[in-house]
Amino acid sequence: MLRRRSFLKVAAIAATAVLPLSAGLSGPATAQSTDTLEIAFSARGLRTIDPARSIQGADEWAIIHIHDKLVEVPKGRFPRTVAEVQPSLATDWEVSDDAKTWTFTLREGVEFQKGYGEMTSEDVKFTFDRLLNPEELGVNRSLYHNLESVEVDGPYKVVFQLKQPDPLFPLGPLLHYSASIISKKAFEEKGSEAFERDPVGTGPYMLETVFENPSEGVLLTRNPDYWGEPAKMPKLHVQYIADTTARTLALLSGDVHMIEGVRAPGWVPSIKARNADLHFDTSSPGSFFTIQMNMQKPPFDNQKVRQAVAYLIDRDTIAEAMAPISQRTFGLNPPSFPAGFTEETVPEAVRYDYNPEKAKELLAEAGLPEGFSFDSYTSQREDYQSIALMIQDMLRAGGIEMNLEVKDHTAFHADQATNTNTIFLRSAAYPPVPTQAIGEQLSSASEVKNDGSGGPNFSHYGVAIPGIDDMLEEAMAEPNLEARIEKVQAIEEKFLTDMPLLPIVTNGYLIVRAPNVDLGYEQKSGYAHWRLTDAVVN
Amino acid sequence: MAGYFLRRLLDAIPTVLLVLTLVFIAMRILPGDPAIAALGDFATPEQLAAFRAKMGLDAPLWQQYFNFLWGVFTLDFGRSLMNNRPVLDLILYNLPFTIELTLMSVMFGVLAGVPLGVLAARHRNKAPDNAVRVFSLIGYAIPDFYLGALLLITFSLNLGWFPINGGGEGFADRIYHLILPALTLAFIKAAFLGRLTRTSLLEVLGRDYVRTAWAKGARENRVVYRHGLRNALLPLTTGLGLSTLAALSGSVAVELVFNRPGIGKLLISAIAERDYAVIQGGVVVFAMFVVLINLLMDLVYVIVDPRIQVK
Repeated sequence: MLRRRSFLKVAAIAATAVLPLSAGLSGPATAQSTDTLEIAFSARGLRTIDPARSIQGADEWAIIHIHDKLVEVPKGRFPRTVAEVQPSLATDWEVSDDAKTWTFTLREGVEFQKGYGEMTSEDVKFTFDRLLNPEELGVNRSLYHNLESVEVDGPYKVVFQLKQPDPLFPLGPLLHYSASIISKKAFEEKGSEAFERDPVGTGPYMLETVFENPSEGVLLTRNPDYWGEPAKMPKLHVQYIADTTARTLALLSGDVHMIEGVRAPGWVPSIKARNADLHFDTSSPGSFFTIQMNMQKPPFDNQKVRQAVAYLIDRDTIAEAMAPISQRTFGLNPPSFPAGFTEETVPEAVRYDYNPEKAKELLAEAGLPEGFSFDSYTSQREDYQSIALMIQDMLRAGGIEMNLEVKDHTAFHADQATNTNTIFLRSAAYPPVPTQAIGEQLSSASEVKNDGSGGPNFSHYGVAIPGIDDMLEEAMAEPNLEARIEKVQAIEEKFLTDMPLLPIVTNGYLIVRAPNVDLGYEQKSGYAHWRLTDAVVN
Repeated sequence: MAGYFLRRLLDAIPTVLLVLTLVFIAMRILPGDPAIAALGDFATPEQLAAFRAKMGLDAPLWQQYFNFLWGVFTLDFGRSLMNNRPVLDLILYNLPFTIELTLMSVMFGVLAGVPLGVLAARHRNKAPDNAVRVFSLIGYAIPDFYLGALLLITFSLNLGWFPINGGGEGFADRIYHLILPALTLAFIKAAFLGRLTRTSLLEVLGRDYVRTAWAKGARENRVVYRHGLRNALLPLTTGLGLSTLAALSGSVAVELVFNRPGIGKLLISAIAERDYAVIQGGVVVFAMFVVLINLLMDLVYVIVDPRIQVK
């Protein structure tokens, strides 16, 4: 029988013994070193660094440094034309007259990391065949729906055959991170599962460690045999700190050099108050924030009501509240994209500048002079929640009461996908391809279904009001870029008149950088990730 | 004693089974498709179907349930739907961090709370007693995540005495990373245990045998510690058990605020991402801990108070 006194002794010994219980196990390395650029993202942990399977924005930062694509964006911005697209693994390219055949010449002598040999057209074909393979869980396959086939023409030439003309092909799917070229030999040797955590590319950094703790992320080390200009920092550590306070404190204390910012009103001024010398890198347009009105649910089946909602929402005020990451949009394509309406080019009839008087007139014409109330829900994510609350407040000026419920982000998406909302909010990023967002949010093929099997056309446009599908088809069949832009702008004008969807703002992606970190160039636009190869810690 | 322990362990099986069933049902009721959470909005219906088939999510619910129970029985919790890693690996990595946080916070809580309770009882209705009361009130009122953020800003960010985040590497670094999170949880524990010690001790000090000890001219320390505190240990043991369970659940918020690895942080991430396998595995661990701590407390009762007989 254990006695009291001996029990207390045993308990004390046990307590001190358990503390180092796990000390022998590997733990996260948080020590700050001058040869490692530390960057922390708002995510819960690494999912995969296989370019074909990744859907988590934070993981893409590791992907774009391990791999190269055939072509690259000019440093710090999206290209506005095909001529501005930069060569990378491809040195040059040519297009057929019908814009359906694109031939790329590959750079010779580029070696894959870790001794996997020279990159050739077989690797390029393998990469794209895998993206098109329905058996692979390549979740970005929809980006490549226009790709018919990829053929090799010798070791250094690849031919992309498209189903429909695409004069902007290098600006679209080829600039997406999923088009990162992988080593066929490495993939076949390691297998699909292992490749998700041990990919091999030709990029300026190569994978050194995937930490046991998912939130500790990955450590990349400079590729000594890189074909281009070598990265300035020897190591790059991509880590994940989901909690906003913890992430902010990690930056302010110097634990990390860069963090993903928060897309919420007031966050930037608050962090500036702590340290006025911090740098803010924004990549615009970032995510397109839109609202879609469910035309199956009265009174949103009435065009005048939808237009009244558009006049009640003060998009300039929303953009100002979300500064410096936010910009008002005039059409679904933002001003910086081909075919995007700007403040100067948007037709007067579809500008929808804030005008509550006009809104009240339209509501009266619709038989609702006193306004109305409706139920809606939004996500608890900062950008969704804050914009929804601003919209709720603005609608009151027209007598419209929006009974808003705030839901967990995953539940919000699941519920929206089953056609249960009235005003749907959506934040999504797109490449600078003018038909992409229209096809996804407005065509009948993307109509939301009650069983969740449909797409993100939540308004039922194209079905409730037909016409857009034919216009979109016509635009996508147009090989001439100028003519295509005109056709896309006609679509924009039509839907803005019918008003199933109101573009609100674009919310740029924000990275906050410590004062002693020099990025090496100015970041202005592009996807929500950019290369850090020129960055140095001073 | 061993037989008693084994019987209590067997008694816990229905409890654990009930918890597992509730978790399984709750996960299936929650809105949010794990396939969409894993593959994203752009996944096609075919890809979603393929993912569900691969992860066994397309099987009938009863089959998923029995697969889950068999998995728990064989310690095979499956793989994370998000990063495809074995759930057991994730648990084994994170569990030591939660255990050390729980133990250290309870240790700090006892070391601070019991002496404070004794101090308050010895100076009943005087300044020290009032001070302990105020401390207890603050401890009860302040949420752990808020206190954690305050300590983090003060001692890590402004003073730079402690690390901002992570769990540390190697023994000394692990302890160093542990102090502030453990103090956060210990503050609340000390408030609770201090109050409990005061009440129990005052009750014991009012008993006849204590009056007899005073009458015999025993010194104050002997009366308070030998006759008083030892006999006040039983309610304190109950409090300690509850406190340990509270530390375990409190570790969820503290692990998030301090960005420490741990089962709580793992669970929160898994819930947000509808990662069924990880949630189920994590809850099993929590449930087992609750059962184990209750068992240990029963054992401690027997040791602390020999009048309690094991049957």
